[in-house]
Amino acid sequence: MEADEKFTRIDRMRYTKNTLSAGLAYLAILFDVVYFINIYASDINYEVGTYYYQMRMGISIVYNLLFMLAAFLCSEGVKSYKRNYSFFLIFIGIIQVVRIFLLPLKATQADYAVGDVVTKVMGKGQFTLVSAYLLASGACCVISAVVGLIRCGELSSHEKALLKEQSNG
Amino acid sequence: MAELSLQHLEKIYDNKVQAVYDFNLDIKDGELIVLVGPSGCGKSTTLRMVAGLEDISGGHLIMDGGDITQTPPKDRDMAMVFQNYALYGHMTVYENMAFSLTLRKENPNVIHKKVLAAAEILGLTEQLNKKPAQLSGGQRQRVAMGRSIVRSPKLFLFDEPLSNLDAKLRGSTRREILLLHKRLGATMMYVTHDQTEALTLADRIVCMSMGHVQQIGTPLELYDNPANLFVAGFIGLPPMNFFDVKIDGGNAVCEQFKMELLPAEKDMLASYNGKEVTLGVRPEDVRPGGSIKVRITSNENLGMNTLVHGRLGDSTVKITGKFKGWCDYKDGDYVDVGFTKCHFFDKETTNAIRPEA
Repeated sequence: MEADEKFTRIDRMRYTKNTLSAGLAYLAILFDVVYFINIYASDINYEVGTYYYQMRMGISIVYNLLFMLAAFLCSEGVKSYKRNYSFFLIFIGIIQVVRIFLLPLKATQADYAVGDVVTKVMGKGQFTLVSAYLLASGACCVISAVVGLIRCGELSSHEKALLKEQSNG
Repeated sequence: MAELSLQHLEKIYDNKVQAVYDFNLDIKDGELIVLVGPSGCGKSTTLRMVAGLEDISGGHLIMDGGDITQTPPKDRDMAMVFQNYALYGHMTVYENMAFSLTLRKENPNVIHKKVLAAAEILGLTEQLNKKPAQLSGGQRQRVAMGRSIVRSPKLFLFDEPLSNLDAKLRGSTRREILLLHKRLGATMMYVTHDQTEALTLADRIVCMSMGHVQQIGTPLELYDNPANLFVAGFIGLPPMNFFDVKIDGGNAVCEQFKMELLPAEKDMLASYNGKEVTLGVRPEDVRPGGSIKVRITSNENLGMNTLVHGRLGDSTVKITGKFKGWCDYKDGDYVDVGFTKCHFFDKETTNAIRPEA
């Protein structure tokens, strides 16, 4: 009975999309967007300029756009049980985690002076928040990819078994 | 499966136009009923009333003993197949077929099994991952049927499902519907204006005109014993020939011919002696060789048969005959014909004249 259930569940994949993986990839995009909205929330002092207002800000913006595009393409790929897209999702997922140690961590260490008062560019609270968003985004990518790989493997061996069965008559 | 009883069903629209008059029909379990008639005769309206898509103005609809006249369509447990398929273009065949069950939140594994079973029945297994746009008209119609089958409804309703298909595809899909009916043993109501579909598919035919039921019977009953002039003219292709004749003793007489009646016909028409009646003869009952002179106006060779169109003698009264084999008549040729079977209709009531029981 359980084996039959499992067989049907896998057989269903021949005609249905991997919506779980795709949904997780979309969620990763959503977390990245929220991170993007929050990262520049620190005060901007127009007289002295801002910590972010330099090349790294441009790179950050471009990377965010690229991430969203890549994650969307991967979501379509994993939706159709394409293995390579899962590997790419893992890659961009890891980069999302690494990003915590780039812009946000460095911003917590950088000083920021308003008059005589010297403070840090990014407070601990904001750091925790943006790190959580990046972590969540990365985790969604990795989980999406892992689910995709598992399902891909199941489907592939199921199809091979069906083909073998067919050829055996 | 289900038994359905339509009792004194009437449909009157808000603008007071009455589309259906006093429709009575008992459909047995597993029966395939075909509603046939010309456009605007009320057949689709009747079907839509059964489906719950039209309000019923009068009468009752009884299914398996329960009155469902006021039951909402979703609770009637019926599935309808439309002429225009009504498929979701962005979904695959599988998703289209599974959609209604997904909405009902059925177990996905159960849905999967039902969809695969329906696809197997309809020969759609190879098409399950395709979108409707990638399918032929016949395949799309099969998908629409599959969507009905997976629901395992009590009653299947078909509203001119083959009208959008070309002639060849219509023939093959018609056979598929017939096989489907035999395989599922389901109760079905089928609406069409195509009498060939009606004759080939139906267990019983309901012939309608102007909102009125003209005759209910098996295809053979309607073909062999039409109840009135309308049914006689509507059922059969090419349609029946009609001639105004006078009953004169043992003969049926008109300006163009005089035909001796058979003994049974004489008895049947005894009360019409001296009166005019309508004589109906099917083209397939017109045979070459006889005493009636026909001037050929055109003939259509169909391979196995030839449709011969002409006029009675030199008159303007038209006659069509369906002769066996290949005939090479020229326009203007004269051919003598006879009738193998005749139908008689009362001129006033248009009802068939039948032998008294």
